[in-house]
Amino acid sequence: MDLLIQTAGSLVAILALAGLAWWMKLGGTPALDSEAAVRSAAGEVEDGFAALALTCDGKAALARDADGRIMVIKRHGNRFAGRVLGPEAEARLWRDRGKTALEVDCGETRFGRVFLDIPDAQAWAEAINRIHGRHDA
Amino acid sequence: MPDFNPTQYAVPLFVVAVLAEMLWAKFRAPEAYEPKDTLVSLAFGLGSTVAGALLGGFAVAVFIKTYDYRLFDFGPEWWSVWWAWPVCFVLDDLKYYWVHRAGHRIRWMWASHVNHHSSQHYNLSTALRQTWTGSLTFGFLFAVPLVLLGFHPAMIAICGGFNLIYQFWIHTEAIKRMPRWFEAVMNTPSHHRVHHATNPRYLDRNYAGVFIIWDRMFGTFEPEVDEEPIRYGIVKQLGSFNLLWAVFHEWIGMIADIWRAPWKHKLAYLLREPGWSHDGSRETSDMIRDKWRARAGQAGLPTAMSVADRNPIAEAGEAA
Repeated sequence: MDLLIQTAGSLVAILALAGLAWWMKLGGTPALDSEAAVRSAAGEVEDGFAALALTCDGKAALARDADGRIMVIKRHGNRFAGRVLGPEAEARLWRDRGKTALEVDCGETRFGRVFLDIPDAQAWAEAINRIHGRHDA
Repeated sequence: MPDFNPTQYAVPLFVVAVLAEMLWAKFRAPEAYEPKDTLVSLAFGLGSTVAGALLGGFAVAVFIKTYDYRLFDFGPEWWSVWWAWPVCFVLDDLKYYWVHRAGHRIRWMWASHVNHHSSQHYNLSTALRQTWTGSLTFGFLFAVPLVLLGFHPAMIAICGGFNLIYQFWIHTEAIKRMPRWFEAVMNTPSHHRVHHATNPRYLDRNYAGVFIIWDRMFGTFEPEVDEEPIRYGIVKQLGSFNLLWAVFHEWIGMIADIWRAPWKHKLAYLLREPGWSHDGSRETSDMIRDKWRARAGQAGLPTAMSVADRNPIAEAGEAA
């Protein structure tokens, strides 16, 4: 019974503190909106990752290194998380009212799909799908 | 036998301290907190308490049985032997160093301990991000020598509770350095920031609980470099705020690796260090550090300002 009361009390305190953090607008939204920001985030995802080519839309980014490896980076809370894409990665193009968006699935369900609103979506989709031999972007 | 759990009494203090740090963050470093991350960290803390209550019985039974075979006997009123308390506290902290080191260097142990490192933030709520699955490891065996020496399991548990309470306050970016003598002997926010960092130079360093002397003695100490911004979390960040995934992801990954591995390598996926793979397709912390050293050497450090540098109340002392 004591454990139950403590658990209930702790749960209330937890929700109150998390709610307070939200109400105080803690966190912020860092942007992946420049070459420097993408390079910095890529270096955080994999130390030493040197991007030769990159693209970003503020919320997410793609970067390719000299070995042809492609990294997808997304905003996660007020930090960034990313993956170097492997053979299980897939890219799809979404076209709606003249705009084209790129959907990148790194193959990890819990990492989630990353959507990018980038001008060179077609080329990146083809490059990602070439990793595992697909050509149907 | 005293029935006393210091951690239980410290919970209100934890809540007030997190609240105070949030207020500090509001005005000095809003990026230090993220509401979803905070919610996950605190839920970890609550779940850990429940899991400990439900699953901790086996370890207690082992300790009680082992106590029958103790080498020294402090008598039926063992709690009244005053000097046994500080001795037990220090030896328990030494035990903590080794169980913590094993928690980072043996994947079976890491599957549980990774929970504490899964946040990309470093604040007081991160301190409460405690594992739910400690009972599924052999970590409790590290305390058996203390029981055999004659320290009652309750005494060890109480010392361990105070150890945990001490470690709460060092999970902050609000304090830069403590006085030089304190940094030399005690674990501090500076030393523990290093421990939570994913920067190659900091990986698998500063395992101490209360006394940093163990890291200095056993060669795992690394001082914080002011010029290098710290990145917190794990080498492969989760990228998800799903609580259950955060709790079990490494268990799932490890079991999947064992399942897929050739027979002669299965045990290695359980007992070798995280990142080890039989085909060399992944990187351990040592490999990451070696690559970083080869690429950058010790020079060329970035010059961004840490959060603590922006904190006017933080003491601008030197590292010990």
